[in-house]
Amino acid sequence: MRRILIIDDEDDIREVAALSLESVAGWQVYTASSGAEGMRVAAAELPDAILMDVMMPAMDGPTTFREMQKMPNLAGIPVILLTAKVQGVDQRRFAGLGVTAVLFKPFDPLTLAEQMSAALGWS
Amino acid sequence: MPQPFESAKAPKDPDATRKLLATLWERNLPVLRDRFAELEHAVVAARAGTMTQPQRDGAIATAHKLAGSLGMFGYPEGTEFARRIEQHLEATGPVDALRFGEDVAAMQAALSL
Repeated sequence: MRRILIIDDEDDIREVAALSLESVAGWQVYTASSGAEGMRVAAAELPDAILMDVMMPAMDGPTTFREMQKMPNLAGIPVILLTAKVQGVDQRRFAGLGVTAVLFKPFDPLTLAEQMSAALGWS
Repeated sequence: MPQPFESAKAPKDPDATRKLLATLWERNLPVLRDRFAELEHAVVAARAGTMTQPQRDGAIATAHKLAGSLGMFGYPEGTEFARRIEQHLEATGPVDALRFGEDVAAMQAALSL
C-alpha cells in the first residue's frame, strides 16, 4: 500500500485530498497542517511521496521542500506541489525548484490519485 | 503526532466517494460563508473608498482559497470567479469596486448560496 503525506494548511483541501487518495486509490494517508509539522511527520513516517501546498503561513511549500532537501532521510522522498496559481510565471518558478511535479487546484477528487501516479511514475 | 486520516468507511467506488465529498462540503459550509462575508465586507470598503492594504491582502488570500477549493467540490464556475477576483485585486492600481462586487455576487450565485 502506498503511503502519502499531505501537507496543507486548509482543512477542506486536506480532507478532500485525503478522502480522495484513501477511498479512490486505497492509499494510506498522513496529514499535516503546516510545513514544520509536515517535516516532523515525514521524518517519523517516511512516506512514499508528499503532496504539499505551495502557499502556507510561516513556512511555505517551497521553503519546506528546500529544508527537506537538507535532511538525508527526507531528501529522496518525491514531492508534488499543489497550487491554485495558474499563471505561467508561477508554474515555471515552482517547477524550477526541483520537485517531482506541480499539480493544480482545484483538483478532481476522483482523479487525483491517477494524476499523482502518473507524475510519480507509479503503475 | 497526527494519525493516519480516519475514513474507515471510505469505499472504493465513485458514487460513494461523491457522497462523502458532499458530506465534507456540508461540513465546510460555515467556513465558506465566512469567506464570502469577508469578501462582501471588502466590497463595501472598496465602494466607500476605504479599503486598506491589509484588507485588500486578506481579500486576495480569501479569493485564492476559494479558487482552490470550489472546483474541487464540483463548482468550477465558482473557481473561475474567485480566480478573477484574486487577479483583479492583485493587479496594481485602485480596485474597480463595481467589478469586484459583481464578481463576488456572481460567485455566490454560481453556488446558489
